[in-house]
Amino acid sequence: MSATGHLQDHLPLTHPLSPRSRYGGLPILSRLFLDYEAGDLWQEDTARLPGGLARLRQKARAFAEQHLAPVSAALDLAPHLPPGECHPAIPAILAEAGRQGWLSYLLPPPMGSMSFRVATCPPIWQCCVVVEEFSRVCGGLMLLLSAHHLGTMPLLLSGSMSTLLKFLRPVYQSCLRGQPHLVGFAITEPGAGSDAEEGHGAAVYRPGVVAKPVAGGYLLNGRKCFISGGDLAKSVTVFAALQGEGMESWTCFYVDNPSPGYEVTRTELKMGMRASGAAEIALKDVFVPHERVIGGLRNGWALNRASLNTSRMPVAAMGVGFARAATEEAAAFARTYRLGGRRLIDYQEVQLHLATMVAETRAIRSLVWQEARHAWRPRQLYASLCKFQVTDRAQLVCEMAMDLLADHATLHENRVERIFRDVRLTRIFEGTNQINRLSAIEDWQGELLGNHPNNFTLGV
Amino acid sequence: MSIEAEDVAALLEEVGQFTQGRIAEAVMRPENPLPNKVLEQLTGEALELGILPAPTREAGFGLWEAYHQPHIMRFNIGVLRLVGSANAGIAFAWHRQALARVLEREMGWTPAFEAGAVLGVTMLPTGHYGLGRTNLARWLGGRVPEGDEREILQDWLDRTSHPTILTAPAGWNSLLWPVWRDDRIGWERVSRAALNVGLCSAQHGLDELSTFQMSREGERGELCFPLPDMARQLFARVFKMDMIGLLAIGAGAITRAWNMAKDYAGIRQQGGKLIGRHPAVQQMLCDVELCRHSVEQALLVCERPVDMLDTNEVAAMRARLSGLLCQAASQVVQVFGGLGYMRDNGAEKILRDMNMLKAQTGGAWDLRSFVAGWCGDFA
Repeated sequence: MSATGHLQDHLPLTHPLSPRSRYGGLPILSRLFLDYEAGDLWQEDTARLPGGLARLRQKARAFAEQHLAPVSAALDLAPHLPPGECHPAIPAILAEAGRQGWLSYLLPPPMGSMSFRVATCPPIWQCCVVVEEFSRVCGGLMLLLSAHHLGTMPLLLSGSMSTLLKFLRPVYQSCLRGQPHLVGFAITEPGAGSDAEEGHGAAVYRPGVVAKPVAGGYLLNGRKCFISGGDLAKSVTVFAALQGEGMESWTCFYVDNPSPGYEVTRTELKMGMRASGAAEIALKDVFVPHERVIGGLRNGWALNRASLNTSRMPVAAMGVGFARAATEEAAAFARTYRLGGRRLIDYQEVQLHLATMVAETRAIRSLVWQEARHAWRPRQLYASLCKFQVTDRAQLVCEMAMDLLADHATLHENRVERIFRDVRLTRIFEGTNQINRLSAIEDWQGELLGNHPNNFTLGV
Repeated sequence: MSIEAEDVAALLEEVGQFTQGRIAEAVMRPENPLPNKVLEQLTGEALELGILPAPTREAGFGLWEAYHQPHIMRFNIGVLRLVGSANAGIAFAWHRQALARVLEREMGWTPAFEAGAVLGVTMLPTGHYGLGRTNLARWLGGRVPEGDEREILQDWLDRTSHPTILTAPAGWNSLLWPVWRDDRIGWERVSRAALNVGLCSAQHGLDELSTFQMSREGERGELCFPLPDMARQLFARVFKMDMIGLLAIGAGAITRAWNMAKDYAGIRQQGGKLIGRHPAVQQMLCDVELCRHSVEQALLVCERPVDMLDTNEVAAMRARLSGLLCQAASQVVQVFGGLGYMRDNGAEKILRDMNMLKAQTGGAWDLRSFVAGWCGDFA
């Protein structure tokens, strides 16, 4: 809106009864507390971030708009390809993402690409900021670039400098050279579903991937599924039980692709986020030497759960990105589409609808940033509640966008239907939102049961 | 020729057998959209069986060929529910084709028919966006539009300035849609060749069909403008039949989704027991069941002669239930977890189809304004 323009049934900003036009005329002391410049909401939120993080947000947006946006629609429409093949645009995007540091930003130099200016902010917060920008532009490419960080998480959390130097550093350095080395995260098994993400289920689950001790290491056998980006991953963190033991023996193994006996058997034809494959792998006597046991024997369950604690806030940030994209698309439609000679935005019911959408979007972003800014040691309760609440609300915002566009929303060209298909996954992966609710309660049960000394009232 | 009340159950049984035997078999792989050739073949078979109205001037007992008796409405709703339970796209195509035949008869037009193009005629009951806010309802209520009201309705049905979106079988060649003149809604039958038709990229759902953006450049097709009261009655009738049809297709689709979710909950183990024994899953299944009951109750209300149904009641039911159907379909996807997100499972397709149904006929959101507009001159 121009300075003199205004929406139907609203006063122009220059009108004597417009409060903003009058604040400037108040005494200076009043102006100090009341007067404000109303700017772009994204710019204002960016300005509220610590300097380094604000810069990261701007860079992520620029990368997404320059490199992801132009191919996003085509990748969504592209035919499903067999394992081992990918759309010709993807290698170039991965190479550029690697060169720009988007595949290595969880550690600073000399290991990775994290700017020292953001080193005072939790990496999870950085990740959330980046993921929102990428999601806004392309859910599939965002997932391809982000699932890699989940794959590397057990290496990062291993607590072993030699693991970082021997395995993670080459991954990061290769990416920075423009030779992308993606890492997959393999926990889900065809018969397991959420049992790999929830302790109560894991307690009675019979592991499907088993590690048999042999001279010099282990032989892995079994199948893993729904590995985001697993078809393109050059290595995978695979969680397996030790032979003859249960889930408590889960151990993380770092497996290269290709390795003898390792095969990507299929990729799923998904509803959305289609630029990223969801792979199934078969492991047949895959030999893994002792040095590739990550984080120690029988520490896999803890590493897995800790990895999920780090990834669930970024999944929530995906929801923010999708809700934001849906709101932007709905607003753009309302600003340009005309009915009865007026823009839709001039109609009050449309204004009410958009106001709700922007409020929902900003509310869920606030929750993500509130939890992520303190997530140096991410608590399960906060990570899980953030994930389920944000993604549930994000889907609602996407549905509101579809409602506003009516049958125009069904067109691929209008993007909103694609955003809906993308956001739908965020309520399923990294533990369904039902599992995340139970996960929050699992972590909160000490307080709920009053186990803490002097705990007379429950803090919420 | 008409259907006797005592024949409805047997006829629906036959439709059910055809649906399960032919349609369900043809759409067994939800990840593979039905080829148009197969859709035409199934449509030809449905025509032969009398499920769909034949392109003749005389009404038979096919879908929507009659609508003035409760048991015939039960038949119409039942057909769409059964076909919708197998495939919402096919049901939607047949529903719109049958409504087009109704309109052709009402207008006294010779049915558009080209040999070999069994799905050649379709219809669209609305304008280029929404439902004209409160103004369509007010016009249907008998008000003569003034000023902005007239401008909105005129613009809403302006087929030259705004592209209109149509979801239909790829091979349609004749379209009926409402047009505005002299404060009246009339109907136009226009051939595809007379329109600027752009094929859109793959739409959100109803994968068996295609979506087009169309506009007209001056040249008009056949027009019919009934007298004002007749124009209102005819539009309201078609509008109600369309909304009832969309709900019936949704009811069929959600029943299928419900059965899929129930079956899965009865075999899938999680945490050492069937997922159906977990309250988290039970609550989602309950949401689906509540939705199913609500839609079925609404459809029972619709088993009355169409002209005796209150337009606003039908609109209000659709406004409330189309969102509920989408939420229920989404819960079915959630019951399946990761599997539900994959196209070979079928649950995600039902969700996309449900979103498509919700977006048709002006979409469900503007129905709130429509309902308000019906309430009186204050709106």
